[in-house]
Amino acid sequence: MRNRAAWRHWAASFHRACRPTSDIISTVEFNHTGELLATGDKGGRVVIFQREQESKNQVHRRGEYNVYSTFQSHEPEFDYLKSLEIEEKINKIRWLPQQNAAYFLLSTNDKTVKLWKVSERDKRPEGYNLKDEEGRLRDPATITTLRVPVLRPMDLMVEATPRRVFANAHTYHINSISVNSDYETYMSADDLRINLWNFEITNQSFNIVDIKPANMEELTEVITAAEFHPHHCNTFVYSSSKGTIRLCDMRASALCDRHTKFFEEPEDPSNRSFFSEIISSISDVKFSHSGRYIMTRDYLTVKVWDLNMENRPIETYQVHDYLRSKLCSLYENDCIFDKFECVWNGSDSVIMTGSYNNFFRMFDRNTKRDVTLEASRENSKPRAILKPRKVCVGGKRRKDEISVDSLDFSKKILHTAWHPSENIIAVAATNNLYIFQDKVN
Amino acid sequence: MEFKLEAHRIVSISLGKIYNSRVQRGGIKLHKNLLVSLVLRSARQVYLSDPCPGLYLAGHPGAPAAPQQPEESAAGPPAGWGEPPPPASRAAWPEPEPQPERPAVPEVPRAGDAEPAATVTAAGDTLQGGEAEAPEAAWRRVEGPRETAVGAGGPAGVSGVCPEGPEAARGPCGCPAGDEDKLSAAPRVDRCLASRPAAAEPPASPPVCARKRGAAGVGGGPADCPAPGSTPLKKPRQNSEEQPGGAAAAAEEEEEMETGNVANLISIFGSSFSGLLRKSPGGGREEAEGEESGPEAAEPGQICCDKPVLRDINPWSTAIVAF
Repeated sequence: MRNRAAWRHWAASFHRACRPTSDIISTVEFNHTGELLATGDKGGRVVIFQREQESKNQVHRRGEYNVYSTFQSHEPEFDYLKSLEIEEKINKIRWLPQQNAAYFLLSTNDKTVKLWKVSERDKRPEGYNLKDEEGRLRDPATITTLRVPVLRPMDLMVEATPRRVFANAHTYHINSISVNSDYETYMSADDLRINLWNFEITNQSFNIVDIKPANMEELTEVITAAEFHPHHCNTFVYSSSKGTIRLCDMRASALCDRHTKFFEEPEDPSNRSFFSEIISSISDVKFSHSGRYIMTRDYLTVKVWDLNMENRPIETYQVHDYLRSKLCSLYENDCIFDKFECVWNGSDSVIMTGSYNNFFRMFDRNTKRDVTLEASRENSKPRAILKPRKVCVGGKRRKDEISVDSLDFSKKILHTAWHPSENIIAVAATNNLYIFQDKVN
Repeated sequence: MEFKLEAHRIVSISLGKIYNSRVQRGGIKLHKNLLVSLVLRSARQVYLSDPCPGLYLAGHPGAPAAPQQPEESAAGPPAGWGEPPPPASRAAWPEPEPQPERPAVPEVPRAGDAEPAATVTAAGDTLQGGEAEAPEAAWRRVEGPRETAVGAGGPAGVSGVCPEGPEAARGPCGCPAGDEDKLSAAPRVDRCLASRPAAAEPPASPPVCARKRGAAGVGGGPADCPAPGSTPLKKPRQNSEEQPGGAAAAAEEEEEMETGNVANLISIFGSSFSGLLRKSPGGGREEAEGEESGPEAAEPGQICCDKPVLRDINPWSTAIVAF
């Protein structure tokens, strides 16, 4: 990774990508090149940002992200049969690798996954013979010569069209989607089942994991997240509400209820409390880019696991351990159910996750250093350098520290994303999106 | 004793959450309700196992045996309720309905009793950004319904919990259509909640209508609400998620019996259960159970179970029924 100085030089590359009628951001995802950044919100909208091309005369504006496309992905629905309202909130967005000029992404709400095609149009044909420029038909009798229509430049138009709708396959709420490395299939996971889809086929999917017990009374855990291995198209993992991770190999059997590997850390009995089960529930699982490690996020910690060692993680990072004594209050105000995500940087050397008070944390796996930063309006002035923050956990509070009781628990950073190859991060703070760049570039 | 208080408080908060989950947009969240039911179960265990001198032990063999009770009573009530529903009936329960699931047999170690105290002593800390309502109010002896008692589910509960229109129908609301239009809290709430306790014999068990009913007409899901009054054992199958709440209700009931404080119990349930208040204007302390069941009995078709049967069941179950 970089030298120590880099940690101190995170600068806001632009003020904020704030939408006037913005809704709470529910997912953030860079595409495979990092050129595009997609956000989904509670209102079912997707907003895609594109990175500006570098220009020689505006060096300081290099790499700013501006709005590229906005579209309504999902609408609220009502299931009349069950009398259930289906929220339009976008739970996850996942990009497909680019294979032609158009961009493709998957977006999902609780029940339906959609494949969207985002394409540009910057030329239009002109010079038709049978119709004029406004499209009105011409009287053939008036045509004396023929011409070949030509394409002329027009203002760039970005259009998003739904190409596939994968519906009616999930009884429970979809929490994850993951594109397979074969680029032909993807999986969608809900609380109890995981389905495998082919992008071309929308009317069927294969069920590959089903943990629904015959008698629902015996249910003890649910699936909380799932992801394909970045390189091995037969391998995927899914995490559970009990704090366990299962790795499955689709070559072993059609229904992967029996795991190939089972990752679980024994519980520390001294930490037992009413809320032990809640805080051990895994909210996110991510493969490293190398495919060698998986990272899991539970309420208080981030853990890195080596795929070759199942009995305990190789690294555990405390995100906000000062909350351990406040679990009861957090239970009362529902914060204990917040599902934080976690991300790797491009080289798998740094991991990042969010916290409360608009804080987010980064952990350098090599140097074992960590930093707490804040995504706030004060810090978001262009090129402002983020100052590390610190939470005072007791005793005398120093000048710049914040005491635990002063933390604002309504300001939570659940969703973050890291550029696949550069030190650019996107942080969603409620309805604001912050993009930060490492100044040392 | 502290543990007991905190456990009690957590139980009431959990009840409120489960209750509120019925009206949340997007349907009942299976994951969250599962976690809440686990907390409920842990709290209930602590509550039962915390050695506390007094009336509490009068009806039970004693603290060490207390944890056994839930399991035993779990076995009991189903028998008391009647035949388990035939599998076909269970299948009738719409599978798609996300329901909080019954946790496995709790493994909370007895030593866990010590931890909750440590954990919950900090409960007094106030955190921003969340419900400011103080569930500890549930603990205060109050004269009348305390809306904060059920945490979030308190006052909002009356209007918010009583589902209206589609939201109400969320759980396979077996309630006859007419009920759905009713906004009045009492009868509706009682009805809706009536289904909860029934199944919740096992502590904090998630509701599964099939299990719940026993004699109650299990058959049929949402569309198949047993006609009120058709049999006293039948009850509308409601959101099973309420089940875990039922267990907690039982906790309240136990507390009720222990302290003989009607007002306390009322405070816990809050104004959502005005039916209880209506039937027991202030007397009947000694008949805490009866009070709970009173409103039930008063409403034709809402009777969860015959009272004599209730009496024989673990008092927790009684409150569940009343719930």
